[in-house]
Amino acid sequence: MKGIVFVKFNEFIEEVWGDEFWDELLSEANLASEGVYTTVATYDDEELFTLVGLVVVKKGISAKDAQFAFGKWVFKELYNLAPPGAHDFKDVFEFLHAVQDFIHVEVKKLNPDALLPEFEFLSETSNVLTFKYLSPRKLCYFCEGIIHGLAEHTGQDIKVSQPECEHEAGEQCVIEVEKV
Amino acid sequence: MSSTDKPVLEVDELEKRVAVLERKISREKKARNIAENKLEQYSLEIYQTNESLKKALASSTKKQKELEYLGRASSYVGSEMKLNEIIDNVVELTGRFCEADFGFYLVAKKGNIIQEGLNKVWCLNRGWQDNAVLIEVIGKLLPLENTELLNSWNVLDIDYFPSNAGQALKQVCYTNFALAGGKVGWLAILNSHSVVEPDVLSVLNTAREHLLSGISRRLTDLRILKRNLQLQESLEKLENARKQLIQSEKMASLGQLAAGVAHEINNPVAFIRSNMEVLQDYLKDYKLLHEDLKKITYSSKTLSTEVFKEAFEKIDIDYIDEDSVELLQSNIEGLIRVKDIVDNLKSFSHSGSEELTPIYIAECVDAALKVTGNAFKYEHQIDNQVSELNLTVLGNLGQLQQVFVNLFVNAAYAMEAGGELTISHSSSEEKVVIHITDTGQGMDKETVSQLFTPFFTTKPVGVGTGLGLSVSYAILEAHNAQVTVDSEVGVGTTFNLSFPTITQQ
Repeated sequence: MKGIVFVKFNEFIEEVWGDEFWDELLSEANLASEGVYTTVATYDDEELFTLVGLVVVKKGISAKDAQFAFGKWVFKELYNLAPPGAHDFKDVFEFLHAVQDFIHVEVKKLNPDALLPEFEFLSETSNVLTFKYLSPRKLCYFCEGIIHGLAEHTGQDIKVSQPECEHEAGEQCVIEVEKV
Repeated sequence: MSSTDKPVLEVDELEKRVAVLERKISREKKARNIAENKLEQYSLEIYQTNESLKKALASSTKKQKELEYLGRASSYVGSEMKLNEIIDNVVELTGRFCEADFGFYLVAKKGNIIQEGLNKVWCLNRGWQDNAVLIEVIGKLLPLENTELLNSWNVLDIDYFPSNAGQALKQVCYTNFALAGGKVGWLAILNSHSVVEPDVLSVLNTAREHLLSGISRRLTDLRILKRNLQLQESLEKLENARKQLIQSEKMASLGQLAAGVAHEINNPVAFIRSNMEVLQDYLKDYKLLHEDLKKITYSSKTLSTEVFKEAFEKIDIDYIDEDSVELLQSNIEGLIRVKDIVDNLKSFSHSGSEELTPIYIAECVDAALKVTGNAFKYEHQIDNQVSELNLTVLGNLGQLQQVFVNLFVNAAYAMEAGGELTISHSSSEEKVVIHITDTGQGMDKETVSQLFTPFFTTKPVGVGTGLGLSVSYAILEAHNAQVTVDSEVGVGTTFNLSFPTITQQ
């Protein structure tokens, strides 16, 4: 996984629970990288899952909530790093369409080996958009959090749900975004 | 908590805090080092990538130049330009490709330059210019006397270059190839600086192969063209010979007809002459009458009816009047007949054009019968069934008349003891068939099989040329007409001439 995710996760944890908590996580996690993260390197996915697992245990929250909270927080951080063209979108649906056609294309130019999730759009009305979330990392809750962060940015009220989810015995993850 | 515990606690907390921060700083430092190393690595990679891109660009630019050179050389070779123009263009192109100072093309035979007034040299900056001195100098350097042809471009370093030949040149790159007539073409490019690299030479050799195959194709084309012209000339000669043959044969048949025609003309001439003699006598009578009447009138100063009547009766003036009219009419008719015969002979002997136009069969047959009329005697009957028909075919009147004349003469010859000549026809949508039937002696199969062979004749020496039917056959062939012969010894012969109808042509 790209180093940016670890760096931002570090910042998120320190912002919410302080740098001592982050230090505590690292000392318990016993990671190969020793928590020395930079944005220019890539790290084992498992390190993130280990850290998230420790947060879940130590703070008594669900993995879903942890992923969701990080996703919602990280949106604005990633948004600031996104290429200039990504700042033109004013609508959640419009942005979600652009993720695949524009933002991921730009990401691939800089990081050809980046493993990115794919969206397969199923249906769209003026206020409801449904798509499949396809990623071997299965971070659908993180994705939900990001969509909420996006809506906060565009100033739109939305409701995000998953009619089907791999974590809840579904065959695939289907995300439904409704403007309210 | 006691007051003494508080600072201890604070110290512990502070120590713990310091430890956390120290670990954080340590991580940050390590991260920075990693990032800096990465950055250096990226910089190196970018530098290397840049270098290899530059190399790739240079190589692809070179390849592009080479391809452009080969492509343009090919297009010159494959163009419709004259051979010299092609070679000039290839010289210029090769010179530019090698960034040479000069380039030229010369033709040599047995080691001597035969430039045929062309002393043009291509120069990088000034294009084509006269430079006989340079050609002479380089001509001496090239192995012109070498009769073996080269199979690639050769490079020769110039050790000594005379100062009067202009800019000092260091290298000449040359090749040669065979031209027609034992001549050898030499291509040369000259350099004052750069050395032609081996990979450039291999490109030049590729273009050379192309040029050579183009030249050999051109030379072959030229040979074919020349051969074609010769064939065309032969064909024209043959065609002229054929026309002459037809005309000669026509004249020969005229010769055969001459006696008959003379007789034909003699008959009217004889009776016209006799008529003229009678008319001369009548004129004398008129003169006598005139004299008599003048005398009587002058002496007696009067002319009585009695005397007048007597004078008239003396010479039977009524008869003379009546007979004179008849004689003159007969003479006019006789002369018309002579004129007709002469006209027909003229049209028959006239060689005319070979153009095919719609013609009436009846007209053609009538004209032929008039010319051959005398060949048929009193014991012959002629049944011309086509004279009243409007049958037309696409043909040449003079030539078809010749065919009919020939067939009629032959028919007459076959029916020496008399018989009947029938000219009939049978027509369909596709063809018009004219049948010429005689009741003569007929021919056996062998004779029929040789009928159209030139110089085959059954007539005595001096009577026939043996060409009549073969010429007729050639004429009919030119009319897209077919001819068949049915013959039975002792019964007679029928020639069937089958012409395509005009709509079928």
